[in-house]
Amino acid sequence: MSRMLKLAAAVSAMTLFPAMLATASAENLKVVASFSIIADFAKNVGGDRVDITTLVGPNGDAHVYEPKPADAAAVAAADVVLVNGLQLEGFLQRLVEASGTKAPIVELSKGGEVLKIADEPHPHEEDDDDDHAAGEAGHAEGGQHAHEEGHHHHGEYDPHAWQSVRNAEVYVKNIADAFCAADAAGCDGYRANADAYGRKLGALDAEIRAAIAGIPADKRSIITSHDAFGYFEHDYGLAFLAPEGVSTESEASAADVAALIRQIRDDKASAIFVENITNPRLIEQIAGETGLKVGGELYSDALSDAGGPAATYIDMMRHNVATIKGAILGS
Amino acid sequence: MRLPFLSTAALALALPLQPAASLAADLSAWRLFVADRAEPKVTVVDALAGTILDTFTLREPASLVRSESGRTVFAVQGDAGVVTAIASGISFEDHGDHGDIDVEAPKLTGTELSGRKPSHLVEHDGAFAAFFDGEGVARIISEKAVLGGSSDVSEVSTAAPQHGVAVAYGAHVLLSEPNAEKPDALPVGIRTVDAKGVQVGDVAACPDLHGEASSGNLLVFACATGLLVVTHGDGAPQIRHLPYADGLPEGKATTLLGGRGLQYFLGNYGPDKVVLIDPTADKDAFRLVDLPMRRVHFAVDSVRPRFAYVFTEDGQLHQLDVVAGRIANSLKLTEPYSMDGHWNDPRPRIAVAGDHVVVTDPLQGKLHLVDAASFARAGEIAVPGKPYNIVSVGCSGRIHETE
Ligand SMILES: [Zn+2]
Repeated sequence: MSRMLKLAAAVSAMTLFPAMLATASAENLKVVASFSIIADFAKNVGGDRVDITTLVGPNGDAHVYEPKPADAAAVAAADVVLVNGLQLEGFLQRLVEASGTKAPIVELSKGGEVLKIADEPHPHEEDDDDDHAAGEAGHAEGGQHAHEEGHHHHGEYDPHAWQSVRNAEVYVKNIADAFCAADAAGCDGYRANADAYGRKLGALDAEIRAAIAGIPADKRSIITSHDAFGYFEHDYGLAFLAPEGVSTESEASAADVAALIRQIRDDKASAIFVENITNPRLIEQIAGETGLKVGGELYSDALSDAGGPAATYIDMMRHNVATIKGAILGS
Repeated sequence: MRLPFLSTAALALALPLQPAASLAADLSAWRLFVADRAEPKVTVVDALAGTILDTFTLREPASLVRSESGRTVFAVQGDAGVVTAIASGISFEDHGDHGDIDVEAPKLTGTELSGRKPSHLVEHDGAFAAFFDGEGVARIISEKAVLGGSSDVSEVSTAAPQHGVAVAYGAHVLLSEPNAEKPDALPVGIRTVDAKGVQVGDVAACPDLHGEASSGNLLVFACATGLLVVTHGDGAPQIRHLPYADGLPEGKATTLLGGRGLQYFLGNYGPDKVVLIDPTADKDAFRLVDLPMRRVHFAVDSVRPRFAYVFTEDGQLHQLDVVAGRIANSLKLTEPYSMDGHWNDPRPRIAVAGDHVVVTDPLQGKLHLVDAASFARAGEIAVPGKPYNIVSVGCSGRIHETE
């Protein structure tokens, strides 16, 4: 019974995308995308010349993803592996090692405008980096000096660079470069696709700016679950606060949550949102304690599934802007 | 002795005149804890130097469990009714770009968990739950307490004595549910209780429950019908049943290991197979791997996520490629060890220590070292008596550099 249903579903999928199936072949470029947003970019650039495997799928959380043997097999078989970089994919190194792949691992955020993590001071970090960077003989004792306990080294940069559409344009250009390097015969097509999609992104960027301009300056502070919107804030002029930091890996501390609740009570926030990749419980609790109404669901680090409101990157950004605007202006 | 070390790349930069490989070796520490099959003792071996560091006397021949952190090794002595804690002497702190290893002498911490017939000891997030079959009681203690020498446990009881298991899962405890009709039979499910011991939700059915493992954020139990898969749910653990695929031959897993670095589970399946399980997969969740002979023991590689190892009764060690799902290499190591006879007869056991796979050879009184990269013999270490159960702890300085 269940098998017949599955078969029926497969058949209807085929009839929906006959062109894709007809052109998919062993000749296609085999691409692994680390998460759903990158997969969407890759689809727009690669068209029907590429077969894309997505590691962290719709609504998945790349920060805490655990790679599977099948992922290693996909990476092993890939011609190109597209990743975000900036330590978003904590699983990347062990996955690449396990796969033994020879494929280029392309960090799409390279060349974009990258933001340092603002509110997480690391007093030792600068020193450490100096030690590591300096190759001179003066640092020969570098392996011996004592390190304090409890010193934790997180990423220095905010990995959520795709939340700036201008950075998304850099991602797309990097994908075109990577595809051209791996498949010279398809290069003209990749460039043309990237240009066409890049124009859509340019229009999206303008559309977001126009939409945000309609929000009064004193109503531009909002709450989400984790610090995923630093780039959006930087580019479009909204202020985001979150109980969790730039990674969902470490849970929010009680002190952070209490501080956030105080800020909200001091009338520092206009709206609060749950995110598609995280448990809504904490946000619902903060909303309940402060009387803010949850204004909807934002898509931070992953697209929705195909039937959802954020099945593509462009739909995701539009959905987020519309949701934010609706909650602020509706309140 | 404190040995801070940097990642290999950083070392190469900081000390440009010396080859990084020898430095990495200097900064590694690996110890093997070997329980004798006949004598009540655990021998501690320096895996890099090949020397015996110490020997601890127990009440009876033990089975061994190491903690996730590697700081603690437990010697479970079922008939003697005690679990003895040994501090491995090696502790490791990961600071992302570098790590610090602390190396001290191994010692008994003083912690002893007492009760009738301890069997499975399971760690979850730094809390150990030892199940005492003879009482149907789980005794729970943190690693911090164990390293401090404390034996103060919290107890959670089930309805009856059973060959059971418990997992301290955050604010909840997962407990095997005894078979009420047949007290000697294996448990029939998993009951979730909260901190006060009050049942949460229904008992999740798991006929003939035996075998448990964690990999990444997944915890699983093996049942006759498939696996119970436990994840962090909304307020309480969420448990779903993953049935064995229709295409699998008759059989079940009764021992499970969790992958390290890659998320998967490795289990026994019939006498001459193992099964690779990805509970998250839509298809091929179960991949069977045929072995040339009956299986003696198996282990996962915590250093090289791609590999696991299986020993078969013809004396061969097999390197299992968990990505491809097939045996990649085989190496004859010992005389045959037949699986005829009692399950607990002295037979080889496997551990992975840094660059080496280590296999005990109880009837020859030695450990075989196999180079994990070349899969060739790399030496032997003599251990008096019948070296049998083995665990390794340590760190090879393979810090995963995040760029
Ligand atoms: Zn994020």
